[in-house]
Amino acid sequence: MRATEQAIVRARDLVKQVDSPSGEPLRIVNDVSLEVRAGQSVAVVGVSGSGKSTLLALLAGLDTPTAGSVWLDGQRLDELDEDGRARLRARRVGFVFQSFQLLPGLSALENVMLPLELAGMARAAELAGRHLDDVGLGQRAGHYPPQLSGGEQQRVAIARAFAVEPGILFADEPTGNLDTETGGRVADLLFRLNRDNGTTLILVTHDQALGGRCDRALSMADGGIFEAAN
Amino acid sequence: MNPWYMAWRMLRREWRAGEIRIVLLALIVATTSLVSVTALSDRLEQAFEKQGSELIAADLVVELPEPPDRELIEQAEDRGLAHTLAVEFRSVAVRGNETLLTEVKAVGPEYPLRGRLRVSAGGDGSLAVSGPPATGEAWVDTQLIARMGIAVGDSLSLGRTTFTIAGVITFEPDRGGMGFSLAPRVMINETDLTATGLVGPGSRVDYRWMLAGEPPGIQAMRAWLLDNGVAEGELEDVRNARPRFRSALDRGTSFLSLATLVSVLLAGIAISRATQYYARRHWDHAAIMRCLGATQADITRIYVGQLVVLSLAGGLAGSVLGYVAQQGLVWMLPAMMSVDLPLPSYRPLLVGLAASLMAVLGFGLPAMARLREVPAMRVIRRELGPVPPRVRVLYGAAAAVITGFVFWLADNTALALWIIGGTAGTLLLLAGAAAAMIRLLGRWRGGLGASWRFGIGSLVRRGGSTVAQVVALGIGVMGLLLLTVVRTDLFNAWDERLPADTPNHFLINIQADQVAGVEAFLEDNGADVSRLTPLVRARLTAINDEPVDPDDYEQGFARRMVQRAANLSWLAELPEDNELVAGQWWSPDQWDAGLVSVERDYAEALGLSMGDELTYRVADRTFDVHVHNLREVSWDSFSPNFFLIVPPDLLADFPQSYITSFYLPAERGDVIARLIERFPNVTDIDVDAVLTQVRRLMDRVNWSLQFIFVFALLAGALVLVAAVQTTRAERRREIAVLRALGAQQRQLRLGLLSEFAVLGLLSGLLGAVAAGLIGFGLAELVFDIPYRWSLELWLVGLLGGGAGIALIGYLASRPDIKATAWQVLRQSE
Repeated sequence: MRATEQAIVRARDLVKQVDSPSGEPLRIVNDVSLEVRAGQSVAVVGVSGSGKSTLLALLAGLDTPTAGSVWLDGQRLDELDEDGRARLRARRVGFVFQSFQLLPGLSALENVMLPLELAGMARAAELAGRHLDDVGLGQRAGHYPPQLSGGEQQRVAIARAFAVEPGILFADEPTGNLDTETGGRVADLLFRLNRDNGTTLILVTHDQALGGRCDRALSMADGGIFEAAN
Repeated sequence: MNPWYMAWRMLRREWRAGEIRIVLLALIVATTSLVSVTALSDRLEQAFEKQGSELIAADLVVELPEPPDRELIEQAEDRGLAHTLAVEFRSVAVRGNETLLTEVKAVGPEYPLRGRLRVSAGGDGSLAVSGPPATGEAWVDTQLIARMGIAVGDSLSLGRTTFTIAGVITFEPDRGGMGFSLAPRVMINETDLTATGLVGPGSRVDYRWMLAGEPPGIQAMRAWLLDNGVAEGELEDVRNARPRFRSALDRGTSFLSLATLVSVLLAGIAISRATQYYARRHWDHAAIMRCLGATQADITRIYVGQLVVLSLAGGLAGSVLGYVAQQGLVWMLPAMMSVDLPLPSYRPLLVGLAASLMAVLGFGLPAMARLREVPAMRVIRRELGPVPPRVRVLYGAAAAVITGFVFWLADNTALALWIIGGTAGTLLLLAGAAAAMIRLLGRWRGGLGASWRFGIGSLVRRGGSTVAQVVALGIGVMGLLLLTVVRTDLFNAWDERLPADTPNHFLINIQADQVAGVEAFLEDNGADVSRLTPLVRARLTAINDEPVDPDDYEQGFARRMVQRAANLSWLAELPEDNELVAGQWWSPDQWDAGLVSVERDYAEALGLSMGDELTYRVADRTFDVHVHNLREVSWDSFSPNFFLIVPPDLLADFPQSYITSFYLPAERGDVIARLIERFPNVTDIDVDAVLTQVRRLMDRVNWSLQFIFVFALLAGALVLVAAVQTTRAERRREIAVLRALGAQQRQLRLGLLSEFAVLGLLSGLLGAVAAGLIGFGLAELVFDIPYRWSLELWLVGLLGGGAGIALIGYLASRPDIKATAWQVLRQSE
């Protein structure tokens, strides 16, 4: 695979190996190389245990590979320490998770404000309010996560992910905990915001239909990756 | 981002969510108990010092070779101290043809600076007075009245002046400390002193310069005096002048320190458990924030910032509450005890804030600091927790902070060491024993019913956190037992040493031919007489063949001791309330050997060491003795004790006098007057004033301990709640799953009860073992009181601990049984 100017996420010969309970080394991610261009939406599909969430964590700099390198927004991640990667995430990366990962003690608005505050942005409350309006939850800004339905919680999480206007958005099974109808609406929202903001989207899912809505689909099996027809 | 501002905002949000409240509550209880206990003990200690000062009529007495000069007086006045001079010397009083050696004391208008003198005008009853006799008048003691056969209104000459006897001194606060004052007292006004012509160059006079004022002023003055050529031995305060009161004071303050330390320790453990719980609940939050781009430093600042804000808030609230609480309790005090309780100093407030910060840093920081180690990956793989390499260092730092804090609070090295050592030992013992017992339980539970199997199963499965819980609960039980059973045992043992009929009078100088008469007289008057002890009065003439000259000694105790004849008593056995600190007691074959046993402080003051040869003279005979051993005396036992003891047969053929002690109710003062009338050479030493002060001190200590216990109980309960709380989230999930699988409420309830009952029994048993061991150590080595192992300790520990923990645990978990499975499962998502 050849590097291009527009590649915003790039991985080369990525390996993640852990010790299995029996002591045998287990390769969760096996020699993966890939390139994602800016503005592209990419789905990584595969069955449970195929290694797609681990790959996502490696690409986002949440975890470190056993071997190989990742470039995120032109920055080689293994040249950065934990905190360096955190700072990069604060500026350039957004996340949406299967289990929403909202802080239960914070209201919807405060959850959206959090990354803005971490990035040191002024007028965090105002910006966060606008992002909540964008996902149709402006009226529920003062509610706490346990008071919201699953779909609503995920919409808050999406508002939070887009709050810092990230260059890259990582989504880990964003509809995995939702019923089909709600999941569909959340996916609509995700793709609309992605398009409107010109964000690069890397989405991990076992849902073929969701994967099918992306510009490009990669398929994962036993830690290896291959381009699927889309 | 400004992490401190974030910390503050997040704290406000957390407050609304409610989780932080238990941490704050633990902090407030800890600080409240600490501040109220410290404020109260501070006031009590000030009151004790004041009580003690009444026994020497001043806060500090300086023995000077001449009257204080301008500079000394300015130094005292600059520090806002009141001062007065008492001039003491021996002189012969003359009435007609009769003469009598007396101890004259000339005092100024401010005398006594502390306490009151009691003077009777001749009839029954006496008046408390301040100030000296009027010019030209003298006050004398009952001894002089009896020996000279005179009465109020008669006259008496001292030197060139004739005085009218205007009153009889029935109580002189600063008389009768160490050593025996033998000559009768004549007290005159200082303005009459020059006219007597008795004090001039070369005359042997003690200038006792008395000072009184606020403690800081007194301490500063003391330091200044020591820096400016005054020797330690020339300074007298209640600690060195009244050993009986001093021992009681030390023991009393040790009791208060013990109680304070235990309640702080309990509150600290509650804080530690609560912050651990809080921190654990925030692993997810930290991971999400890491994922959203927070650096490790941000996380540290946010959570440490929260801790700092919390500790300040808790510290302030607790300090205010503590102040209010102790004042409220002082108002509730029986009137007798609340009089002249001085206001607390600023120290308790300082202690409160410092303690709150240190408690949070020492007990809470380790858990909170781990949050920075939570990996961002936890958002994807929830089982990932923090990996803690540096945390061990942090625990070490925390242990150091706590140790330093305990030392600072205890102000008593032995006590602090016992508490720290005891706690550390208990922690290890508890952790080891708990782990072993849990393993055993895991093997046995197969034979039990389903509910018990579930309950015990939960304990075994959560092995690590169960051990932590047993440790926290065990320490809680230990603390409570220390403050109840052990404290009561120790206090009673102390109290028993001063029964109602503790001797309050000592009779000295009883001649051999008066022994039978004095005994009969006292028995006829209903006084319970202990055995009459013989003694020989001898003058120390040489130490290791070096002649002894009083002028070689500084003013003060040592000089007084060599000026006067020493009292040597003889005994075959070491008295029960004495303890050898060097050398051996004598064996029967040494009963006629030239040996002497010396009280430790006495030996120190005179610079004596083991083996030194002392030469004594009695009339025209001399004898030598060698220092054979050194003793420590429990002065607060109030039985006759001696600085010098020789083997029983050594002095058999020397002229002897006898000493005895007995109890006489205060209102039977007439007995003493009649006794001295009949046996004029006998001297009575009234220790009722000291005894009363010691009793009052013990009452106050006892009452304060009960008050402190309330706080310790609160702190203990908080430990239990916090310990139960730490595993609540996990337990909730289990209950919800079991409910979903069809478990009956009854089964769940039984399961919970069995889990907590086992937890309680384990903690109770281990806590009782620990409390017993610490109590034993404290009794033997700190309080110097014989320790009795009590069955009560085990019963209260086992049953109280078991039932209490089962109840609290059950009550805390009950809402989870009542809620529907669905509610719980959704909430624990």
